[in-house]
Amino acid sequence: MRRKGRKIMTLKKISKADVLELLECCAKTWKTYVPLETEGKDILFSLLPTSGSELKEALGKVNLNDERVIISPKDIFFPQLDDMFYFDKDKIKENVEPPAKKLIFGVKPCDAKAINFVDEFFKRNFEDIYYLSRTKDRLIVVIGCITPPRPDACFCTSAKTGPFANDGYDLQLVDIGDEYLVEVGSSEGENFINSYSDFFKDAQEEKLVKAQVVKSQAAKNVKLKVDFQKALEIMKGNKDLEENYKRISERCIYCGGCVYVCPTCTCFNVFDEKKDGNGIRRKNWDACVFEGYTREASGHNPRDKKVQRTARRYEHKLKYDHSVTGSSGCTACGRCLTSCPVEIGMSKFIQEITEDKKGA
Amino acid sequence: MQKILTTCIYCGCGCGLYLTEDKGIITGAYPSIKHPVSKGALCVKGWNSYEFVNSLDRLTHPLIKENGKFRKATWDEAIKLIAEKFKAFSAESGADSLAFLSSAKTTNEENYLMMKLARAVFKTNNVDHCARLCHASTVAGLAATFGSGAMTNSINEFQEADCYLITGSDTTSQHPLIGSRIINSVLNRGAKLIIVDPRKIELSKYAAVNLQQKNGTDVAWVNGMMHVIIKEGLQDEAYIQARTEGFAELKELVGEYTPEYVEKITTIPKEKLIEAARLYAVTKKAMIVYSMGITQHTTGVDNVKSLANLAMLTGHVGFPSTGVNPLRGQNNVQGACDLGALANVFSGYQKVTDAAAREKFEKAWGVSGLPANIGLTVTEIITAAGGGKVKGLYIMGENPMISDPDQNHVRKCLEKTEFLVVQDIFLTDTAQYADVILPGASYAEKDGTFTNTERRCERVRKAIEPLGEAKADWRILCDVAVACGYNGMNFSHPSEVMEEIRSVTPIYGGMRYDRLEPHGLQWPCPTLDHPGTPYLHKDKFSKGKGTFMPRPFIEPRENTDEEFNFILSTGRIYWHWHTRTLTGRTSTLEREAPVPYVEIHSEDAAEMGIKNKEKVRVTSRRGQIELQALITDRVVRKSCFIPFHYREAAANVLTINAIDPIAKIPEYKVCAVKVEKL
Amino acid sequence: MKNEYLPYKAIIKSIQKESFDTNTYKVVFSDEKIRNSFDYKQGQFAEVSILGIGEAPISITSSPTRKGYLEFTIRGAGCLTKKIHQLNVGDSLYVRGPYGNAFPYEEIKGKNIYFIAGGIGLPPLRSLINIIMDNREEFGNVKILYGAKTPDELCFKQELEMWKKIPNTEVWLTVDKSYGDWKHNVGVVTELWKKTDVCSKNAVAFVCGPPIMIKFVVMKLIESGFKNKDIIMTLERYMKCGIGKCGHCNVGEKFVCVDGPVFTYEEIGKIPAKERAI
Repeated sequence: MRRKGRKIMTLKKISKADVLELLECCAKTWKTYVPLETEGKDILFSLLPTSGSELKEALGKVNLNDERVIISPKDIFFPQLDDMFYFDKDKIKENVEPPAKKLIFGVKPCDAKAINFVDEFFKRNFEDIYYLSRTKDRLIVVIGCITPPRPDACFCTSAKTGPFANDGYDLQLVDIGDEYLVEVGSSEGENFINSYSDFFKDAQEEKLVKAQVVKSQAAKNVKLKVDFQKALEIMKGNKDLEENYKRISERCIYCGGCVYVCPTCTCFNVFDEKKDGNGIRRKNWDACVFEGYTREASGHNPRDKKVQRTARRYEHKLKYDHSVTGSSGCTACGRCLTSCPVEIGMSKFIQEITEDKKGA
Repeated sequence: MQKILTTCIYCGCGCGLYLTEDKGIITGAYPSIKHPVSKGALCVKGWNSYEFVNSLDRLTHPLIKENGKFRKATWDEAIKLIAEKFKAFSAESGADSLAFLSSAKTTNEENYLMMKLARAVFKTNNVDHCARLCHASTVAGLAATFGSGAMTNSINEFQEADCYLITGSDTTSQHPLIGSRIINSVLNRGAKLIIVDPRKIELSKYAAVNLQQKNGTDVAWVNGMMHVIIKEGLQDEAYIQARTEGFAELKELVGEYTPEYVEKITTIPKEKLIEAARLYAVTKKAMIVYSMGITQHTTGVDNVKSLANLAMLTGHVGFPSTGVNPLRGQNNVQGACDLGALANVFSGYQKVTDAAAREKFEKAWGVSGLPANIGLTVTEIITAAGGGKVKGLYIMGENPMISDPDQNHVRKCLEKTEFLVVQDIFLTDTAQYADVILPGASYAEKDGTFTNTERRCERVRKAIEPLGEAKADWRILCDVAVACGYNGMNFSHPSEVMEEIRSVTPIYGGMRYDRLEPHGLQWPCPTLDHPGTPYLHKDKFSKGKGTFMPRPFIEPRENTDEEFNFILSTGRIYWHWHTRTLTGRTSTLEREAPVPYVEIHSEDAAEMGIKNKEKVRVTSRRGQIELQALITDRVVRKSCFIPFHYREAAANVLTINAIDPIAKIPEYKVCAVKVEKL
Repeated sequence: MKNEYLPYKAIIKSIQKESFDTNTYKVVFSDEKIRNSFDYKQGQFAEVSILGIGEAPISITSSPTRKGYLEFTIRGAGCLTKKIHQLNVGDSLYVRGPYGNAFPYEEIKGKNIYFIAGGIGLPPLRSLINIIMDNREEFGNVKILYGAKTPDELCFKQELEMWKKIPNTEVWLTVDKSYGDWKHNVGVVTELWKKTDVCSKNAVAFVCGPPIMIKFVVMKLIESGFKNKDIIMTLERYMKCGIGKCGHCNVGEKFVCVDGPVFTYEEIGKIPAKERAI
């Protein structure tokens, strides 16, 4: 699945007016996750109710515009808190979510890239059953960004992760006005179109041209440019970046937000809870920026200094991830910057090391 | 999987966050981007505010103590027992034999109901809460000078100020989303920081002027700054003329506080004092930011009044990004005060001593004979319960065993308390002494409102059902009132309580639930068409003219001597919250700061031969604790700092139960101790 | 797909006191299938837990040549290990694994072997030592250089005596502080270079102990002509999952739990200095 540039028999499109109806149909058979507007006017991926007035109400809140989605869909597969197993004196009962057909609709290209990145991580070495049982039978429908959701922070054109995806999706929708042109990225995507053929109409060839125009304009709309390639080269080399790390670590107030919102961060802690002989082993999101993250039982801590932990985060994303997987752990979504209370972010770091700019 | 917008349970910033609900469990917390405070960010506590909700330690059914042991009880049994006991005490020993401790962690509606339970049902003003231990001095001090005891500005106005005078607030630790705005303002806009704190804080490294005063000498340095300002003619004459009264008295009093004299008292070098005074006076958008370091003194009210004087002198109140900003600690300590969970006022700061106010509430509540005497305050209630004057004590969501001064005294009092009811979500150290324990609901399990430090009343939304048999705290209070035969508390939802609050509380008059969507309103908000008030005292002070209240410097209650030669100050750290009831059950936070410690200056440590992380004993006249030494230059020589969060080495074993005569706030920030190597 | 996170019950069959704060626990899986299928190599570790308290990575100190049980030598240092020290024979632990890479075995046959350990650093080497002792004739000379703070803190006292008696096998002991009837050396472990010949010819050295000791021993070994690839050690890191997922033990681009814990000094050299912590 998710191969680049799959050929299909005919070009397809879907009218924007039909999208909600499609989602309504899907919600019956798929666990359908879609960006919904909340009571606080924010956009978050949420599970659609399966039917009835609840579904109707939820559909009224669907927002597929280029809005800032607080957290990438990573928490659908890797929740912030996850019960691993329950125990009752001597018995252990595992708590693995049974696989279910999941439709993740309206994913941004950078987040789709991240999902694929994390998929590979949880398959490497040992397979992680908690993650992989949740990703089984999953369909990703990407909607490219016409305008960047975080205008001051998105830098996808620099990292070549957007504003439209080249791969890593089952379907990608291109907003060409009143309708979306549909790009198929996998056989599962193709099957999906066939299953819901009422919604997907044949499109004329000229729509392809229009889509091209839209895509190139969208790329121009991403104003924040950084020299991503140069940054990767610098990180690979021996340039001394201690001063940069120091400046950042001094400003940082250690909320962990950059890690929590990062769509490719996967660190977790494991802890037990117990009452009267019964208990739970749980895992929850952890962050390498915390001092206790590497502190050993003896008290020895190989990363006891703030600056070491700051360096760790940037080197992990831009150096180690790249050397292990061939692609950087940063998908240029810009969330680390927009969620940082003191305005530190990956794009600023890259600017700093590539342009010798001062200030984190 | 649903995501429900609510308000963070930790500090007074009141960040908007989403709780993720999955199969009846809270599995996450995310910041709101559109919320005016969080703006897509949270501090580490906010990010981890979901974990404790699911803890297996949660209380899930009522408990009654029999023969020294707790047994499971039904709600009927527990409520009936409380009603019987409280009615009997009231009948035998009078209404004031009962006392109620409300909670700054619970909602506005619950605080209102708690004070209504005390006043309307039991006719006593013995109702108070932990604001007494944090900002009682602010409420008294700013009400007297400005007419309103709250933060004058809004959190977002911190982004625009050009000068911050920060004193007694470790802002990045205690109000991270305000601290971050200050850091951004300094680094991006070149705003200037004046830090006056005996201990170096995270923000100290950004300060234009750093003053490290001797603990407990705040009135002196503030008077000294005013002395310099008047001497150099930097005061705002037009403002003083138009908007204030009592300037002549102020001028006279501060006349003797020359920089030389102030240096003797405070150890602040006179040049630095002058530099700070000039910087504050000449910057147009200047704000004073303070917290417990100012309020928790026997001169707490004097400290606050002095800061108010300084702000009025320079015309620094009543404008955007310009004012006096006491940062409220608890998520809802502002609201708990607003709603009258205080011994001297009804909701909206309407005085119990005012006959017209009593009459108004009697009418609204359908009762007669509301008491006119001011009730007992937090520390007085505990002492009275120990002495038998108070026989029935009802504590909701507070943990005085750890949070009140002089722990040994508190323990003795709680042991002797005739009948103690504790309503909480965990079996706290205080609950161990209870006769009846009622399981309340966490913030994820109930509806209501919190009012943050900028006076923003905002919604708390129920994401899951209360665990086990636990009940929302407002529901429990209503059940108790009904069991006592009062029929004015038959509410079925907190929104109905808010309707009653609106009708009797002018500053909350316009705060109907639908108007609080999506991000709340800032009081005063008197009517249904009022947009709320981002900053106070525009054009004129709440009380009309602002009043200068000059105060002379008075020494702290306990001074060092040959034996107890260190000054101890207590406080909080970034990773933990108060008595660790919540953060101690949050793996990430507990891992970051798992053990209690005392900060000691490196030179003192060297003299005593104490190594970092070595165990030491700290002793005051009231008790002793053993804990790790953290060797640092954050504290000055011959002073030490202990976070008060840890029951294993409770700082409040050491602290003194000496209180401010007006605000009745204990002096947590100064007591004399000795430090010994073990 | 196997749930790698699920531990299996194992009963404590015996407890051997090694030093004032260290015990060796012999455990046997309750489930016969697990007991028979739990194949491990010298130097691997297992995740050991008490349900409700937590889990930690612990080296398997028994030899894979001795079937049917596992041994863990555990120092009561953290919350979990202190609780383990309160357990008795018949109590249960929960174990999953084995994890991590292993010490080379086939590759070092015919070579002279040096084991250089400090304090609690000997237990991770014990598995390899015993498998060599069980196949003694396939190896050259074996020298064990072992130091601890005090005589009481030396682990495997009986075995040290036993190993000593095996032909072509030397055991050299040293302590920082001696007392009682201590007959051996006093001083840090590198002092033992004065007592016995440490020769790099056809030799390989296994080093395990606290970071500071490793640093000095490696310097000394290089001085004695050892090549980086012939110095083999284990890295210690805080770990949670043991299977390369939780991230805590990440150093450079390696996971200590899957790429290690055994590394040659040559491999360590490729890890950026600030991540190495030795």
